[in-house]
Amino acid sequence: MTGDPVVRVHGLVKHYGRVRAVDGIDLTVTRGEIYALLGLNGAGKTTTIRMLLGMITPTAGSVSLYGRPLRQRDRAMWADVGYLVETPAAYPELTVTENLRLVARLRNVPEKSAVDTVVRDLGLGPVAHRRTRDLSLGNQQRLGLAKALIHRPALLVLDEPANGLDPAGVVEIRHLLQELAAGGVTVLLSSHILAEVARLATRIGIIHKGRLTTEMSTVDLPGLVRRRVAVATRDLTAAGDVLRRAGYSPVRRDAILLLDGVAAEHPDDVATLLVRAGQPPTHLAVEQEDLETLFLRLTGTEVAP
Amino acid sequence: MTAAVRTEWLKLRRSRPPWISLLAATIGTAVGGLFTYISLHPEQARDLGLLGDKAQLASLEPGWAGYFGLLAQIVAFGGSLIFGLTMLWTFGREFADRTAKDLLALPTGRGAIVTAKMATAAVWSLLLTGYIVVLGLGIGAGLRLTGWTARTAIDGLVRIAVTAVLTIALTSTFGLAASLGRGYLAGVAALFAALFSAQVIAALGYGAWYPYAVPALYAGITGRADGPHVVGYIAVAAVAAASLAGTIGWWQHADHHL
Repeated sequence: MTGDPVVRVHGLVKHYGRVRAVDGIDLTVTRGEIYALLGLNGAGKTTTIRMLLGMITPTAGSVSLYGRPLRQRDRAMWADVGYLVETPAAYPELTVTENLRLVARLRNVPEKSAVDTVVRDLGLGPVAHRRTRDLSLGNQQRLGLAKALIHRPALLVLDEPANGLDPAGVVEIRHLLQELAAGGVTVLLSSHILAEVARLATRIGIIHKGRLTTEMSTVDLPGLVRRRVAVATRDLTAAGDVLRRAGYSPVRRDAILLLDGVAAEHPDDVATLLVRAGQPPTHLAVEQEDLETLFLRLTGTEVAP
Repeated sequence: MTAAVRTEWLKLRRSRPPWISLLAATIGTAVGGLFTYISLHPEQARDLGLLGDKAQLASLEPGWAGYFGLLAQIVAFGGSLIFGLTMLWTFGREFADRTAKDLLALPTGRGAIVTAKMATAAVWSLLLTGYIVVLGLGIGAGLRLTGWTARTAIDGLVRIAVTAVLTIALTSTFGLAASLGRGYLAGVAALFAALFSAQVIAALGYGAWYPYAVPALYAGITGRADGPHVVGYIAVAAVAAASLAGTIGWWQHADHHL
C-alpha cells in the first residue's frame, strides 16, 4: 500500500499581519515515507506543522489527512496521529510513567500495556518513576517521543525530534523511526540539520521564508553536492593562466586554486595539463561540499568563504 | 469526558495547590473561630488589644446562627480567593508548563478537556467547602456555642452550600482569563479585579445586581436583609455559562503557538 497519500497540503498560507509566515505550501506525504521539512529557524516549519495538527487556522489553503479534510473537532482523525511540537513538555510534579498514563487515558488506549511498551521502546526504564522536573533534556525529548508513540499512530508529526539528544540517542531514534516507517508508519518531521535528515528521511522539502523551495529524494542528494578541485603549485599565477587558457575558471583562495565543474570529474586531466605546462601540482585534491554548505546554498543563504 | 476528568484529577491531586488551598481554608476557618471566641468573651478580647477591638467592631452575633453566617462569609470571600486561584491555576499551568499543546490534537476533544478542568476545580472547591463546614462545626462545638437547633443547622448549611455554589460558578471567569492570557497573570488580574470591583460596586449600593458581589451579599456580609436581587442570581448564572462557553470556544478556535 506504500504510495497512498496520507498528508496532502495545498496552497497553505498563514499571515500574521503583514508577515507571511507560510506562503503557499503544497506537499504530499505518502504512506511509509519519512518526509523531512528542512529549513532555518523561522522558515515556517513549525507554523506549517501546527496547521497540519489543527493548532493554527490557516489564512488560506487546505490540509487533508488520510483523504479527509482536516477538522480540528474530528476526534477520530487524531486517533491515528502522534505528534511532538517544538520543545517537549511534561507535568513536572508527575513521574514519567504518570505523564504517559495521562496521555494514554486521553488517547483511549489501555494504560498499563501501552505505557510499559513505550517505556521499553524509548529506553525510559531507568527514569520511569522519576519526576519529570528532574529529567535531563535528552530524557525529556525521549518522553516527548514516547507520548507521540504511545498509541502506535499511523502518522507521526515530529518537530525537531533530535533536539537535546546525545549522538547515541540520535542514532537510536533514527533507527526507531526507520523501523516504524518500514512498518507502514508515515513520518513527517522538521529539522534544520541536513546531515541528520539525509540519514533519516526518504524525501526532503526545503522550506525558506515560508515557501517550499525545493523537494528532493534523499537518493538524489549526492547529485546535488558540488565537488571541486583544489590545486597548489609553486607559481599560482602561472598555473592560473595555464588553466584559463585550457578553458577552466580557477578561483584563487589563499595559496590554492579552486576549479568547479568538469575539473572535479577529471582531476587527472588538470594534473596532466599542469605538468605539461611546467607547473606540476604540489597539492591536488577533490573537495566535496559538505551538507551544511549545500543546505545554505539551497536556501539561498550561502555564506561567502 | 471521563478520561479527561481522571487526568485532571490526577494532575490536581499530585500538585501543590490543593495542599495550599487546604491550608488557607484551615487558617480562614480558624480565624473565624477566633473571632467568634472573642465575641463570646469580650473581657479577654480587650486583653488581646487591637485584634480584640476589631473583633468587637465586627459585631458578631454569638450562637450557631451567627456562626453559620460567619462561615458562609468565609466561603464567599475566602472562597473567591482560594477557589479562584485553584481555577486559574488549572488553566494557567498548561501555559506555564507549556503542556497546552499536548491537549490540542487528541481523540478527547478540547471541549471535554476544558469542561473537565472546570469540573475538577469546582469539585475540589466543593470538597474544600465541606472541609470548612466540618472544621467549623468542630470549632463551634469546642466554643460551646448556644442556639443549636435542626432548623438553624439546616438553614446555616444551605446558606453555606448556596454561597459556595455561587462563588464557584464565578471562578469560571478566571479560567477564561488564564486561557486568554495564556498564563497565570491574566487570571490573577481578573481575580483581583473581580474582588475589588465587587467591593466598590457594593459600597455604591449596586451590589445586589453585580454578579461578583452576589455570593458575599447572599452570605449576609451586610446583613440578611440586604440580599441580592434576582437579577444578581441570573447574572451569576450568565457569567458562569458565558465563561465556560467562552473558554471552550477559545480553546477550540484560537491559534495555539505555545
